[in-house]
Amino acid sequence: MLLEVKNKMEEFCRISQEVQNFCTEHGVSEEKYQNISLILDELITNVVSYAYPDGNQHTFTINLEECDEKICMCITDDGMPFNPLSLAEPDTESSIEDRKIGGLGIFLVKQLSETVAYSRVDDKNQLYVKVSIL
Amino acid sequence: MEVKSEDKGGIIVLTPIGRVDTSTAKIFEDAAIAAANTNKKIVISFKAIDYISSAGLRVVLMLGKKLTAEKGVLVLVDMPDKIFAVFKMSGFDKILKIVSTFEESKQFFN
Repeated sequence: MLLEVKNKMEEFCRISQEVQNFCTEHGVSEEKYQNISLILDELITNVVSYAYPDGNQHTFTINLEECDEKICMCITDDGMPFNPLSLAEPDTESSIEDRKIGGLGIFLVKQLSETVAYSRVDDKNQLYVKVSIL
Repeated sequence: MEVKSEDKGGIIVLTPIGRVDTSTAKIFEDAAIAAANTNKKIVISFKAIDYISSAGLRVVLMLGKKLTAEKGVLVLVDMPDKIFAVFKMSGFDKILKIVSTFEESKQFFN
């Protein structure tokens, strides 16, 4: 399933419904559906917030596929080159005073998925995420 | 999404209702800051929350940091398992006070 998404947060509601339908059709468990939903929320937020600093309207894509009991997601945007996996991970051992506020979204994505990979192809950012169905 | 705020014996109890994600986190943040500006004893009840993303976690961390710096106390209660799972994954269970009920939170306010 290929979804075209505009770079505004209001899109999330529509995408959320499409993803829920896709997960139901492919027998994704409730727990994994919740995880997939959170992963896409974080990744869409990143693209909408940071990929297009010009403030103009752009369209990026989300591709969802099922293969061998896994859901593979690929988010492709033609925004600024940015590898979210290069961000420093939050230090989950630090005290509340020292704990930094950023970097949590992509950290959750990594925690909730089996594989996360970034590539820059044809002047586009591609983030590939794999989650098991059960 | 809305945030209910009530005073229970000098403790402000904030109850966000609905989904806390990027599009609604600002409402939660405004309520959290407003509460912290008037009272340093705050409880957040998660009983009416079915979803939280990093945008919502950020608000909770920001409030925890603010209250810690101002010698206040923040306690989180009524957390559904799936919400607790996200807090634990983020390491927030180590830096924030999380207990089952409002009654249990009272021990931190003496």
